[in-house]
Amino acid sequence: MLAARALSKSYGAVRAIEEFTASLPTGVTGLVGANGAGKTTLFKIMLGLLKPDSGTVVIDGIDVSEDPIAVRSILGYMPEHDCLPTDQSAADVVATLGEIAGLPARVARQRASDILDLVGLDEARFRPIEGFSTGMRQRAKLAQALVADPKLVLLDEPTAGLDPQGRHEMLELVRRLGTFGISVIMATHLLDDVQTICDHVVMLDAGRLVASGRTQDLLHTTGVVRVDVAGRGQELLAALPGRDAALLADGTVEVSVASDDEMDAIVAAVGDAGLPLHGLTSQRSSLDDVFLAGNGTGGTA
Amino acid sequence: MTATNRTGRVYDRGYRPYDGELGGRSAARLALFRASVRRALGIRRSWRQKLFPWVLLAIATVPAIVNVGVAYLTRSRFTDTIEIITYREYVGVSTALLVFVGLTAPDVVCPDRRNRVLPLLFSRPLTGSDYVAAKVGAVAAIVFAFGLFPQVVLFVGQMLVSDAAIEYLTDNAAVLWQVPLAVAMLALYYASLAVAISSFATRRIVAAAALLIILLVSSITAAVLTEGRSTGTGWAAINLLNNPLQIRDLIFEGQILPESDLSGVAGGGALAVVVYVVVVGTSIGTLLWRYRWVET
Repeated sequence: MLAARALSKSYGAVRAIEEFTASLPTGVTGLVGANGAGKTTLFKIMLGLLKPDSGTVVIDGIDVSEDPIAVRSILGYMPEHDCLPTDQSAADVVATLGEIAGLPARVARQRASDILDLVGLDEARFRPIEGFSTGMRQRAKLAQALVADPKLVLLDEPTAGLDPQGRHEMLELVRRLGTFGISVIMATHLLDDVQTICDHVVMLDAGRLVASGRTQDLLHTTGVVRVDVAGRGQELLAALPGRDAALLADGTVEVSVASDDEMDAIVAAVGDAGLPLHGLTSQRSSLDDVFLAGNGTGGTA
Repeated sequence: MTATNRTGRVYDRGYRPYDGELGGRSAARLALFRASVRRALGIRRSWRQKLFPWVLLAIATVPAIVNVGVAYLTRSRFTDTIEIITYREYVGVSTALLVFVGLTAPDVVCPDRRNRVLPLLFSRPLTGSDYVAAKVGAVAAIVFAFGLFPQVVLFVGQMLVSDAAIEYLTDNAAVLWQVPLAVAMLALYYASLAVAISSFATRRIVAAAALLIILLVSSITAAVLTEGRSTGTGWAAINLLNNPLQIRDLIFEGQILPESDLSGVAGGGALAVVVYVVVVGTSIGTLLWRYRWVET
């Protein structure tokens, strides 16, 4: 869907993007990085609103620098900041932006209605946006990005400012876009959001690519299992002589294992010691670990 | 509840792809133009926003209605058609539309900046020059329509109340191109200047005040520089408020009229045209510069 090659962009002495090369397939991709990592700059380059100092971006076979208008015809964009005219209704705003995206007027109004329904603003669509909550504004912003049926939508921090329920609902909406055949690149600094819904991950730190790949491939097992024996971890340690094991503050025990057979041996040791086995969990690395390992500040990946 | 006695069912309508053709830049430009016209006329907005433009149009049409009414009531007493206001003078009345422009141009430009809508617009197949064309075009089109409509009322009314409609038409055939051209020149002048000034402001009131201040300062400066001179001086040309009227006189009479501040100035007509071109050109150039960041 998108291929970036040796992309660089500087603002004066500040390097916003540095030799960024990545290939993103269709599906839902998380673009992860701290604030100022270069995510929004990357989006502006993808939209053709910002010229890179060097490098190329090709989206669905179209070179952005050669034909930005054609690229914008297949993209939807949801900025992070408030960007909707507050004195108009959501239906008017989304329909107008649909028309500007190239839809015939009548189709734009129909699709605006359908999309606002899809994002959960069916009853509020004729109300002025100034009366909308943060969650409703985020939904309206998502609706305007979808109204012209884009092949790829760029979502900049779609869960920013949302409460836990609103965040969950927004993530569910974004996840569903993938099932509709719309590819998504979701910029966020919230790794949990990415881990929850994204098929692929691209990690940025200070404009540099830290890691890129399928989420499941990045979240590999760590070779450590956590054993919950109802707080009797000390007794379990005694039952596992010679093993690399550690008692944690919550009474569970972490044990290094090299194979599934060793896990069976641990289960047997729990039984032999007469301990209750409340849980046995194979520990996997988190995206935090991958990010920290990639940017050189530690981690286990 | 069994499958047979269900009376209703909730469907997830899901997402329907659009399989038609999408318009390109021209469609985007036209859509933005239409949206700007709708906004300026208060369409799909509260009644308060609708009130101002339509009341102004009604007021601008009053002289035409009065003129036609008087001509109708006195048609049996006078052989010639009564003419309280000439078509040339009526273009001058259209300068009252400056108030409309002063409030409308900021209203179609400033909210895009204040509400940060520009990234949404430019993430679509639209360039900076398309944006400028749509916004200036929308304001100019409304000013043109509001300036022309009363003239049409006057012309058609006068023609109908005259004893010989065809004769009236042939006698006044020249105004059929003079009026539209003069009103179009006025509309382009006001629209480009007002939209250019508005592009620097996020608040409508600031943009409106800036437009009026610039026009008034140029007018006062010209008055001070020409004060006490027995002969005309080229400094009169910097009066930006008067320039559209000087252009109007060139269109209707082919020359600067004696009552004009530029009367007696060698090449006064050419000077007026130069000032017009400079003002419109600078305004459009400024706008293109303002939105150059989306010209890729």
